[in-house]
Amino acid sequence: MEHIIIIGGGGAGAALAHDLTLRGFEVSLFEKGELTSGTTGRHHGLLHSGARYAVHDRAAAVECIEENRILRTIAPQALEQNDGLFVALSQDDEEYGETLLDACRTSGIKAKKISAAEARALEPALTPEVRGALQVPDATMDAWRLAMYFFATARRSGATFHPFCEVQGIDTRAGRVTGVEIIDYTAGKTRTVKGDLVVNAAGAWAGRVAALAGIDVPIQPGPGVLVAVEGRVTNMVINRMHPAGEGDIIVPQRGLSILGTSLWLADDPEDISPPKEHVDRITALCARMVPAVGEAAVRSVWSAARPLIRDAEASSPQQISRTFECYDHKVIHGVEGIVSLLGGKATTVRAMAEKTAGLICHKTGHEIPCRTRTTPLIPWRCFFSDAPRGGLPRSAP
Amino acid sequence: MKRKIRLKIRRHRPGSETPPRFEIFSLTIDAESSVLDALEMIQGGQDPSLMFRRSCHHSSCGTCGMLINGDERLACVTRISQFKGGTVTLEPLPGFPLLGDLAVDMTPFYRDIDEGWDYLRGAENLGGTKLPDGVERFERFENCIECGCCVSACPVAGEEKPFMGPAALAALNRELQKTEEPATLPLLEQAGSERGERLCNRTLACSRVCPTAVYPARHILDLRTRLRGGRREP
Repeated sequence: MEHIIIIGGGGAGAALAHDLTLRGFEVSLFEKGELTSGTTGRHHGLLHSGARYAVHDRAAAVECIEENRILRTIAPQALEQNDGLFVALSQDDEEYGETLLDACRTSGIKAKKISAAEARALEPALTPEVRGALQVPDATMDAWRLAMYFFATARRSGATFHPFCEVQGIDTRAGRVTGVEIIDYTAGKTRTVKGDLVVNAAGAWAGRVAALAGIDVPIQPGPGVLVAVEGRVTNMVINRMHPAGEGDIIVPQRGLSILGTSLWLADDPEDISPPKEHVDRITALCARMVPAVGEAAVRSVWSAARPLIRDAEASSPQQISRTFECYDHKVIHGVEGIVSLLGGKATTVRAMAEKTAGLICHKTGHEIPCRTRTTPLIPWRCFFSDAPRGGLPRSAP
Repeated sequence: MKRKIRLKIRRHRPGSETPPRFEIFSLTIDAESSVLDALEMIQGGQDPSLMFRRSCHHSSCGTCGMLINGDERLACVTRISQFKGGTVTLEPLPGFPLLGDLAVDMTPFYRDIDEGWDYLRGAENLGGTKLPDGVERFERFENCIECGCCVSACPVAGEEKPFMGPAALAALNRELQKTEEPATLPLLEQAGSERGERLCNRTLACSRVCPTAVYPARHILDLRTRLRGGRREP
């Protein structure tokens, strides 16, 4: 079968390697740093129910709830499945809650209205000012282990992974991509890798990768700040019942509470130092929902760059859709042999992979159905225990 | 407040003809900067070839364990401001095969940890009086993030040594605590094997360096007590 080169070792690349190997393709994946060192590992760890998007971004909401159900069955040990609450703190919130409840219903998200007293019986750390809540099927994911589930399964199916190997060039001949130029930092050497098709799965870095083939893709890094504080003070994910904004989510995970987030638009996915005022604002806003997080010691502050698809029509960055697209550059730019996977989010990586692998099947003339919806993933630990002793495989494909 | 510091980083590629060396990088950091922030600044601005592992940035993934001024720590939650003097020394975790610079291969870490051991447990009681509809218990991940710091710090564990090490024994004991008889037997056999708890010499380095309060030495003592019929050693 055709040899597919994936550029980018985040969740999308991992899920795509899994899907493609299940369909029988030969897969090599290159990542400039360690696997999951970009956006994938460092988001807040929310497995979206889709409720956050239900009112303004129905496509993303529907994708989220469908994937939410699938991931619970194929990677259960990467999830704390405790559901989530949207909590109302004002009359405006309560009015938004009515819209949200309707939108959840039309998107297929099971949402249940509960009273303030019930919400505080579930989560006593909620502010006494809570006026009501919606229970939704949010969950916490281990952002690293979920991605490693996909990597482990893909490796067992024969995919090869090449971390610390940066793609520095995309080779083309007569309008067709033929392979990539790699600098392998583990050996300090450059080499050429031939492939039948190249997939740009570089997330917020996708613009840089596409530029190597002379292609412009509409990707816009959208960083946000996250704050981890000491102490697990709720078991459920706590969201503010208002339109997508800032400082409106608390994700419990192990013994930490992860507070999020903000959003600004950046040109460089690596120039994303957390602005101090974002940290203060997020912490204060989250403490309005759960006062204890405002008093807790800070464990870590960092930023993660969302891979947003540019949208000149969006009235604010928060309104940019969080759905995904895969682009066949033959159709758009006249360059054969390269596709880009743009947008999306950690919750939907499997669906992103399904659509992209479907496009690859179409382009290569295969009719092979997707099997990732029902194939259980093997645990992340197998990524290491399956590896040959003495190091990860390093041979060129 | 901005501050100038120097990072002294051990550089080496296995198989390279260049012998291991320390390279010094100078940079300006914020009061809040972590060691990982500084490494990312170097990789982004001064040397893209610098190899280190990282992912979550908040001590959940366990990828950025390294020796920081000689101690096993996570780069992501180690603030540089806590160190006096202008130089911080970084080296890869000893006891694991080197991939390059600060990055090690974690394969040996998983040698004695079964892929199927349960990574979830009941969550702590936070005073709630109800469970949400459809949720049978509040659950959470285990504390151990599999970073390898304890194995690296243990004087009797390591890639070439027989001891299964503190992380595997702690994970085994957690699994044992969740297992009912007689399925406990193979776990106890593994703990009591010639590569098991008997090789622990109670240095307690594992518990000292653990960044997520697993305290592996307590789990090893638990196993020792259980294997010896409930008698604690004096």
